Amino acid sequence: MIARRVFMYLFLGVTAFVSIFPFLWMVVSSTNPSVEVTKGRLMPGTHLFVNLSNLVERIDLVRALANSLVIALITTGLALLIGSLAGYGFEIYRSRAKDAVFNILLLSMMIPFAALMVPLYRMFAWLSGKMPVIGIDTKAAVILPTMATAFLIFFFRQNTKMFEREMIEAGRIDGLGELGIFLRIYVPTMRTTYAAAAIITFMSSWNNYMWPLVVLQSDAKKTIPLLISNLGSSYSPDYGMIMTAIVIATLPTALVFFLMQKHFVAGMIGSVK
Amino acid sequence: MDGSIQGVSVSAGKGVCITVSIRMRTRVTGWCFVIAAVVLICLFYFYPMIQAFNLSLKSGVGTNLQYVGFENYKRLFTDSNFITAVTNTFIYLIVQVPIMIILALLLSVMLNSDKLRLKGLFRTAIFLPCVTSLVAYSVIFKYLFANDGLVNLLLLRLSIIDRPIGWITDPFWAKVTIILAITWRWTGYNMIFYLSALQNIDRSIYEAATIDGASAFGKFTKITVPLLKPIILFTSIMSTIGTLQLFDEVMNITKGGPGNATMSISQYIYNLSFKYTPDFGYAATVSYAIVVLIVIFSYMQFKVAGDRR
Amino acid sequence: MKKWLTVVLAVMLLLSACSSGGGNKQDSSSGGGNGGGDNGGSASGGKEATEITIWAWDPNFNIKALNIAKERYSKINPDVKINIVENAQADIIQKLNTGLGSGTTTGLPNIVLIEDYRAQSFLKAFPDMFYELTDTFNAADFAEYKVGPTSVDGRNYGLPFDSGVTGLFVRTDYLAEAGYSADDLQALTWNEFIEIGKNVKEATGKDMLSLDPNDLGIIRVMIQTAGKWYLDENGEKPFLAGNEALKEAFQLYKEMMEADIVKPNADWSQFVAAFNSGDVASVPTGNWINASIKAESSQAGKWAVVPIPRLAGQPGSVNASNLGGSSWYVLNVPGKEAAADFLAKTFGSDVEFYQELVTEIGAIGTYIPASTGEAYSAADPFYNGQKTIADFAKWTEDIPRVNFGAHTYVIEDILVVEMQNYLNGKPLDDALNDAQKQAEAQVR
Repeated sequence: MIARRVFMYLFLGVTAFVSIFPFLWMVVSSTNPSVEVTKGRLMPGTHLFVNLSNLVERIDLVRALANSLVIALITTGLALLIGSLAGYGFEIYRSRAKDAVFNILLLSMMIPFAALMVPLYRMFAWLSGKMPVIGIDTKAAVILPTMATAFLIFFFRQNTKMFEREMIEAGRIDGLGELGIFLRIYVPTMRTTYAAAAIITFMSSWNNYMWPLVVLQSDAKKTIPLLISNLGSSYSPDYGMIMTAIVIATLPTALVFFLMQKHFVAGMIGSVK
Repeated sequence: MDGSIQGVSVSAGKGVCITVSIRMRTRVTGWCFVIAAVVLICLFYFYPMIQAFNLSLKSGVGTNLQYVGFENYKRLFTDSNFITAVTNTFIYLIVQVPIMIILALLLSVMLNSDKLRLKGLFRTAIFLPCVTSLVAYSVIFKYLFANDGLVNLLLLRLSIIDRPIGWITDPFWAKVTIILAITWRWTGYNMIFYLSALQNIDRSIYEAATIDGASAFGKFTKITVPLLKPIILFTSIMSTIGTLQLFDEVMNITKGGPGNATMSISQYIYNLSFKYTPDFGYAATVSYAIVVLIVIFSYMQFKVAGDRR
Repeated sequence: MKKWLTVVLAVMLLLSACSSGGGNKQDSSSGGGNGGGDNGGSASGGKEATEITIWAWDPNFNIKALNIAKERYSKINPDVKINIVENAQADIIQKLNTGLGSGTTTGLPNIVLIEDYRAQSFLKAFPDMFYELTDTFNAADFAEYKVGPTSVDGRNYGLPFDSGVTGLFVRTDYLAEAGYSADDLQALTWNEFIEIGKNVKEATGKDMLSLDPNDLGIIRVMIQTAGKWYLDENGEKPFLAGNEALKEAFQLYKEMMEADIVKPNADWSQFVAAFNSGDVASVPTGNWINASIKAESSQAGKWAVVPIPRLAGQPGSVNASNLGGSSWYVLNVPGKEAAADFLAKTFGSDVEFYQELVTEIGAIGTYIPASTGEAYSAADPFYNGQKTIADFAKWTEDIPRVNFGAHTYVIEDILVVEMQNYLNGKPLDDALNDAQKQAEAQVR
C-alpha cells in the first residue's frame, strides 16, 4: 500500500514539475532583461518593473486585456448556452433525422480553419457594407463565428449520455415544461460538465489568434495575442518584455481554471436523488 | 415562472414552442433546442466550406483563378511535399494519441481519489501547459532540446547517451520532440474532460466492487473505462482531429524541419496560402484532403466504440 | 443559479459591447484615431482621403521611421491624418493575403511595407490591387538593386526603403588572438573566411558563426555577391541545376559545417544569444543586426564591420550583398493619391529625413542623395570609431542587381531539404537536379 502511494505521489510530482517548468521559466524571464533571457537564465532578476513599464509604454495593455476579456466572456456565455441546449436536444430528443443532422454538423469540425478564412472574411466584408456594427474590425465579428461549435455540441451530447433519464421523467411528473427540466434539473446536475466547457471555451477564445488577426484592423480593437505577436516581430525583440506580457496574458485563463476546477468535486452524486 | 423562463429562451433565439401531442411536442421541442446551433454552424461553417470546396476546383495565383476541375486533387498524389506531410501527420497520430489518452486517464483517476492530498495543486500544475502561451513554451522547448540544451546535458550526465541527440536537427528525433511537445501540452486538457466525467460516476458502484474484492486495476478496467466510454470516444475523436490539423507546435518549434521532416498538413496549407505565392485553390484542396482523412478515422473510431450510429 | 447569472451577465455584456462597438474610443497611441464608424479609414466611401492607414512592423525601426516621416509631412500637409498600425511581419502577410484574396477592399490599408523577396509575389498575384508610383518619385535616385524587385515591366510600384546591405561583423578581440586584425579582412573570399574561422576556433575555442538549418539566408547572401539568384534573369524559372554560384555556395556551406566552425540555432532568440553571449566570432548578415549587437553593451569596442566575403569561383563576384530589406507599396484603394504623395515627399525625396533615420534609428535607406549628408559620415564608438554608416552606404552602391522573382520562399524550402540530403552524403549535382525538378513542379 505504502509503495503504491509513494509511487503515485512520485509520478504526480514529476508530471507536475515537467508541466510547470516552462511556466516557471516564463515567470522568471519576465523579471530579467532581454539579453539574460536569451541566454536561458533560470534565476530571477530585478528587471520586472522595467519590463512592465516598457510594456505599458509600448502597447495599450489594459485595453487589449479588456478587449480579450469582453470577447472571451461573451463567447463563453453564449457558446455554453447554445452548445448545451443543442447537445441536450440531440441526445434527449433523439430521432433519425436529428442523428443525421448531428453527423453532418460534425463535419464542420474537420476542416482546418485556414481554409475558411478567406470566405469568412469576404462574408464579413460584405456585412461591413450593410451592417457595420458587426462587420470587419468589430468584436461581434470575432464572436459570431466562434459562438456555435460542433465541438461543444459533441461534448455536451457525450456527457448527456451519462445523465440519468429518470430525472427527466420525474421532472415531467412534477409538471415542469421541457425548458424547465433543462434549466432546473439538467444544468445543476451537469455542473462539472459546464465547468469544464467554460474553461475550454474561455481559453480557446482568449488565445484565439488567426481569426481575430485577420478581422481586427485598428489598434483599439486588438486582442492580447495579437499585440504580443507584434512584440516579437522586430530585428531586436525585447524578450524580457515579451515574457512579462505573456505572463500577464496567461493569468486570466489560469484564474478561470483555478476557479472552475473546484467544481470537479465529488459529492454531486446522491444529492441529486 | 415558466413564462419568464420561456422569455429568456426567446431572446436567446428559440421560438415559442406550441405543442399538440406528447410525441409531437417532444419532436418539435427537440428541434427548438438545436435550431440556433444548427443555423449558426450552417452560416459560419458550411457556407464557407462550400466556397472553399468551390475554390479547391480552381487553380492559379492570388485572385487569378481558373476552373481546373479535379486537377488539384490529382496533383495531391504526385506532390512529394503533400505525401511527406501526410506521412508525418500519420506518425504523430498513431503514436501520440493513444499515449496521451492513456496518460490522461491514469492521471485523472489518480487525481480523483479521495485519499490524495494537494489535489487542486496537482490538477492546476498538470493543466498549466494548456494555458502556457504557445510562444513561451516553444521557445523553452527549443532551448531545452537544443544540442547543448538541458535535456542533452542531463542525459549525458546520467550516462544514458554518450553523444548529444539532435532533438531538433535530426529528422527522427525532431518528430519525437514534436510528439513530446504535443503530449506535454494536451494531456492536461484531456484530463479535465475525464475528471469532470468521473464526478458523474456513482461512488457506490466502486464501493460495491471493493466489497466484492476487486483490485484497483480491476475497478479501472471493468468499471471506470466502460462507464467513461462516451468521453473517451469524444477525446479520441477530438485528438484525432487536433493531430490531423496539427499546426502550432510544428510551426513554432521545428518550423517543419529539419528540411520537411516534421512538416504537418496544416503547415503545408499555410505555406501554400501565405508563405509562397498564394495558390488558394490548391490550398483548399489540401484542406479537403484533411477533411477526408478525418472523416475516415472518425468513422472508424465510432464503429469501434460500437455506438449506435 | 450559476447558469442564470451567466446568461444575465452574457446578455448585459453583449448589449454593452455592441453599443461600445459602434462609437469606439479614440486611439490615442498611434496618432490620428478614427471618429465613429468601423475601420481605420479605408474603402467605405466618405470624403476623398484625408486619412490614410499604414501597416508596418518593428517599432524600433520601421514604425519609428514612419513616425518621423509623419511629423515632417504634417508640416507640409497638415490636413492629412496618418494612422500607423503595427502588426508583426508574418501577420501582415497573412492579413494582406486574406484581404486581397477575398476580393474586397474593406479593411485594407493605404500603404503597406513588404519585404523585397516577397514583393513580386504580391504584385503578380494581385495585379490590380497596387497603385503605380512611377511618376511620383525619381527611381534613378535609388540604389539600382532595389528598383528591380519593386517594379513590374518597368513600372514602379514600390518605393524602396531600407537597405539590407550585408556586412561581416567581427569580434576584433577573438581575431587578435588568432593573429588577425580587421584590416586583414577587407576583401575576403568565403574560402579565406573559412580558413580564418578554423584558426579562430583553434586559438579561442569559439565558433565563427551561428546558422539556422531552416534558413538559408547565407546562401542567398553568397549568390547575390555574384549577381545570381534562385531564379533566372527574368525571375520566372527556377535556376538551380547548372547554377554555378549556387553550387559553390552549397559547397562552402558544407565546408563550414565540416570544419566545425558553426554554432547551430533553432530560433531568432538563440541566434541573437550566440553573439550576445560571445559564443561566436562573427556575424555575416544584414546591417540591421546592428541594434541587437549593440544591445550587449559590455562588448563595446570589441566589434568591427568588414565587407562581406565574395565567391572566389565566380568571376564578377563582389564584396557586397543584401539580406532582407523592404519597400513601401500603395494599395489601389481610396486614398491612394494622398498616400503616394506622403511617400514621395518623405521617403522619396527628403535628404534630411534620411539623416534623421540614421541618427534616431540607425536605419540606412537606399536613397543615394542622402549619403552625402552629415549623419552618414559619423564615427561609431561601439565599433572603435569606425564610420560604419559610410561603409554600409558605400557597399550598398555595389550590390549586384538581382531579380528576386515571386518564388524565393518556395524554392528555399525545397533547397533546405536538399541541403540536408547533401550534408548527409547525397552528391551535390543530384541534390540540385532534384531541387530543380521539384521547383519546376511547384512553381506554376
